[in-house]
Amino acid sequence: MTAVSPDAGRIWTAARGPLLIGVIILFAAVVITLLRGSGEGGALDPRSFRPEGSHAVADLLEQNGVRVELTDNASAVDGATLFVTQPNLIDPERLADLSRRAAATVLLAPAPGLDRVEPGTRQPGCPLADRAGAATLGGFTYEGDQSCYDSTLVRTGTVTTIGYGGIFTNRDVDEEGNAALALSLLGQHERLVWYVPSAADRSQQKSLTGLIPDGWKYGALQLGIAAVLIALWRARRLGRVVPEPLPVVVRAAETVEGRARLYRRSHAASHAASVLRQATRDRLAPLLGVPPGDDPSEEIARRTSRPVTSVRALLYDKEPVDDRGLVALAASLDALENEVRKA
Amino acid sequence: MALTGRAGLLALIGVFVVGLLLPSWQGILVLFGLLVLCVAVDLLLAAGVRQLTFSRAGATSVRTGEPCVVQLTVHNPGRRLRGVLRDAWAPSAGVVADRVAVDVPAGGSRVLSFELRPIRRGDRAADRVTVRSHGPLGIAARQGSHVVPWTVRALPPFHSRRHLPPLLERLRELDGRRASLIRGAGTEFDSLRAYVIGDDVRSIDWRASARSADVVVRTWRPERDRQVTIVLDTARTSAGRVDGALGGLPRLDTAMDAALLLSALASQARDQVDFLAFSHQVRASVPRATLPVLVRAMAPLEAELVEFDARGAVAEVLRRAGRRSLVVLLTSLEPSIEHGLLPLLPALATRHHLLIASVSDPAVHAMAAGRGDLEAVYSAAAAERTLAERRRLTALLARHGVDVVDALPDDLPRALADRYLSLKAAGKL
Repeated sequence: MTAVSPDAGRIWTAARGPLLIGVIILFAAVVITLLRGSGEGGALDPRSFRPEGSHAVADLLEQNGVRVELTDNASAVDGATLFVTQPNLIDPERLADLSRRAAATVLLAPAPGLDRVEPGTRQPGCPLADRAGAATLGGFTYEGDQSCYDSTLVRTGTVTTIGYGGIFTNRDVDEEGNAALALSLLGQHERLVWYVPSAADRSQQKSLTGLIPDGWKYGALQLGIAAVLIALWRARRLGRVVPEPLPVVVRAAETVEGRARLYRRSHAASHAASVLRQATRDRLAPLLGVPPGDDPSEEIARRTSRPVTSVRALLYDKEPVDDRGLVALAASLDALENEVRKA
Repeated sequence: MALTGRAGLLALIGVFVVGLLLPSWQGILVLFGLLVLCVAVDLLLAAGVRQLTFSRAGATSVRTGEPCVVQLTVHNPGRRLRGVLRDAWAPSAGVVADRVAVDVPAGGSRVLSFELRPIRRGDRAADRVTVRSHGPLGIAARQGSHVVPWTVRALPPFHSRRHLPPLLERLRELDGRRASLIRGAGTEFDSLRAYVIGDDVRSIDWRASARSADVVVRTWRPERDRQVTIVLDTARTSAGRVDGALGGLPRLDTAMDAALLLSALASQARDQVDFLAFSHQVRASVPRATLPVLVRAMAPLEAELVEFDARGAVAEVLRRAGRRSLVVLLTSLEPSIEHGLLPLLPALATRHHLLIASVSDPAVHAMAAGRGDLEAVYSAAAAERTLAERRRLTALLARHGVDVVDALPDDLPRALADRYLSLKAAGKL
């Protein structure tokens, strides 16, 4: 005979593969998270102390009485300076709307630029940034009403476009006139909304169906047709279901079990006791050669050396019994019967 | 009409066609139109199902649990038929494989064989024959059903036939046809013959010896040509399922087994067996039963949820059994006997000898032995109450001269047959 239920060894053999895969996935996730670093370490993040962070600039602004609000989903920009670190992630219409409402807007390296230039120290060459003097700028050049630093910083109306974010970073803020330029750009008003758009921003603008190519919409429709056809194929039965004429069958012992439950529910211990006593007497009478219905107590006492009174009390006692007494009585009746059978 | 998996597959391939080549409503319409065209062509070219003709041959009865074969002949007057055929039967007919692939040439016939292994006793009727005829492309099929009636009667399994050889041995001993240590003497006078040394001197017939020159002895034989009337109760108590060695069977099936063993034995002992199945009316009646006829008559009997009409049954027995006979009533020892059968016993007992055989329930005996916790003891009390009731009924019936055989389902056939033999040996038939 072979046992079919699995033992510990077999469970381990079956489970070690999936377990190993799970451990590898967990390990990879931990390593990737550690390597990517925390969310606060992002470039141009006003909370970041890293070289590419911007805590120094934010700190300077606070000291000059400017309230800096970091957000990844700008909405309340009225009357404030809006600083967008990654304008390319934002829908152009939304960006235009935001800059119309903001008192001043600074965009960092929006696409498309005119030309690509290496970052380096440049002279202002315009009244806009005369107070700051030379600064580290570069990146892209743009076209605008006022053009400074070899067109890497331009202003059209309230919108200032800057080609390179070096002047805002912790690493370069103390070079040349970078700090002064950063303060003059971002500290124009009491409030500064520091907008770091997240990748989620873009998808909010367009619905999911709008992003799906047309071909797949019709493909999905065709898929629905295919599903209906497959359903029709599977649903068609080869001939009708044949019912089984079942005969009436009841468990024969059900009435006996029902009676047992009734006894128990009504705590009919005394009644059950008298039934058990009667059954024992009925079984013992033929063994002892006593006519059925007669009292076998004396004969039992003679054979088992038990006192007659105790045997008679066991077999005939009319005292009411409780539930616990009933179990004990059943056991002592059994003991008596065994004794008689052995004698 | 029916589609096949290919239709779905084509539509699935169409997903790529529509998605990459024709991303428009027109593309979908064109593909759907093509598919409809293929389906139409297939339906048009598939062989017709309606004009097929069928006939059956093969087994009409089989012992429950054993295999038999029913043949189905398909005649195809139209064009070549390729497809699937299902011969539907009720689940308990136990068709091993009811679906077969068919390929019938134009104007030709095919004989298909279906193996049946009925799992329950009774008449098992064929339902419908359904044919699905595929078209040449295999995309769509014509489908239709035909009624081709056939019935296979699943006979009672007669498990107790293994008891028959030892019982027949005992019968032969009784008959004196076989040498044995026991004196082979019946109770019925057979003939006179001359004394030979070794004969029992007690069997010398002095009166006959006086008339002849030789000493003459009487010979005896067991009684024969007696009548045994078996009455099978098919009313509510026979529906009770009782667990035995063969699993849970209704009391009715065990009683049938016992009746079959008894009638097999009785017919070997050259007694005449009458069979009657009764609930509130006559359900089956076989006068002068032989075993094959009896088995066929029993097969479709099922228990009914009605009260056993003892008055009707006794009247029927009295009407049928002209001479004195042994009436074997296969029923259940329940309190209802007391006011049902008991008042009628005097009418029956004056003319016949009544033997009641009852299936007792091992579950009740197991409950009676239960001890330990309160629930088990209450169950034991309830079971003891039932057993005491049966003992009381047995004693009551015995007082009216009725023999009672109350045995567990596995023992009942043998116990009943043994009782019959001992009644026969005692010449009480």
